[in-house]
Amino acid sequence: MQRTEDPLATLLSAANAGDRQAYARFLHAVTPIVRGIVRARGGRFPPDQHEDIVQDVLLGLHLKRHTWDEAHPLRPWLYAITRYKVIDAYRKRGVAVHVPIEDYSDVLPAEAQADPLTLRDDRAEVDQLLAQLDPRAAEVVRAVALRDEPQAEVSARLQISPANLRVTLHRALKRMADLGRKDQP
Amino acid sequence: MHTDDLIARLAAQPAPKPLSRPRLGGAMALSMLAPVAVFLLVLGTRHNLVAAWSNPVVPFKTLLPLLTCGLSLALVLRLIRPEARVGAAVWAYALPLVAALALWVAAFAQRPPAARFAEVGVFSLAECLGSILVLAVVPVVVMLRMARRGATTAPTLSAALIGLTAASGVAAGYSLFCSRDNPLFFVTWYGAAILIVTGVSALAGRRLLRW
Repeated sequence: MQRTEDPLATLLSAANAGDRQAYARFLHAVTPIVRGIVRARGGRFPPDQHEDIVQDVLLGLHLKRHTWDEAHPLRPWLYAITRYKVIDAYRKRGVAVHVPIEDYSDVLPAEAQADPLTLRDDRAEVDQLLAQLDPRAAEVVRAVALRDEPQAEVSARLQISPANLRVTLHRALKRMADLGRKDQP
Repeated sequence: MHTDDLIARLAAQPAPKPLSRPRLGGAMALSMLAPVAVFLLVLGTRHNLVAAWSNPVVPFKTLLPLLTCGLSLALVLRLIRPEARVGAAVWAYALPLVAALALWVAAFAQRPPAARFAEVGVFSLAECLGSILVLAVVPVVVMLRMARRGATTAPTLSAALIGLTAASGVAAGYSLFCSRDNPLFFVTWYGAAILIVTGVSALAGRRLLRW
């Protein structure tokens, strides 16, 4: 009965029966809900970590999607996994926290937050941050993050492996986020 | 990785095998039955099992662990679902617990001091504790592995319940072999063996059942 009422349940039910499109739609539909919960409950994390936790939750939902029993409503299952993964994120990052077992349905879905980099429309400030990185990493950021060049091309041009490129990019963005925060009053 | 990319990647994977709790429960029960069956086939049941059961105390030796095992298995299977809680069902343990304590106290009161702990010795303890501990190894390992397919949000509790299920299950089987019918002996030492297995399993499961 519950299943026909909740469109998410219909989607996951189809997904577990092998419908990949339904599964993609389920994940897309669930993401803003998860994001809203992470934002509401993960207040002690810097916002740039929120999306990592959202992805952890999605991965958790993915790995445990067979544990949803269709005879039971979907939402409690969804919230239980999200809550578990948020607490797990705190545990991994060494912060003890109490997340109350309450219904999350009052939490509004939240949209993806803009990248910290794109938030800074002040180009000079970005350049100033880039100047503090080593030149190679700065070039990676410029090419991939600012000019939107395909990663394969960039890695060919700079002669670094695609995996190395991703690591360099990730570290550089993180370093820039740290530097950016330090600069702010 | 961007979240949309992650979703695309996840959605491309094949659908999971469905999780059937009755089948999981059956497999878990089998993991306890198998070692007990081998044990009893090799060593046999106690001499004159049927006659022994005419003593009203003796059936409790088997039935109380069996009850504990069934109850715990049901809770283990319930906690496979992430949103599940043990809740009030935990009070059902009062029945085997109170019965065991009553048996112990009654036996203590009835027996003269010299007869109370007469069976306790190195051999009898090694046989009783050792058998239950050894028999419980396979079901604990098998059940912990099976439970990893589930999504318990209380890993330590789930693992403790798995230890309790396995140890009380094999203790019920072992009781068909054991010929010591003094509740002061079997309540104490079956209980000790079951608690040891429960504790070890809980410690192991803290990590194993986390996901």
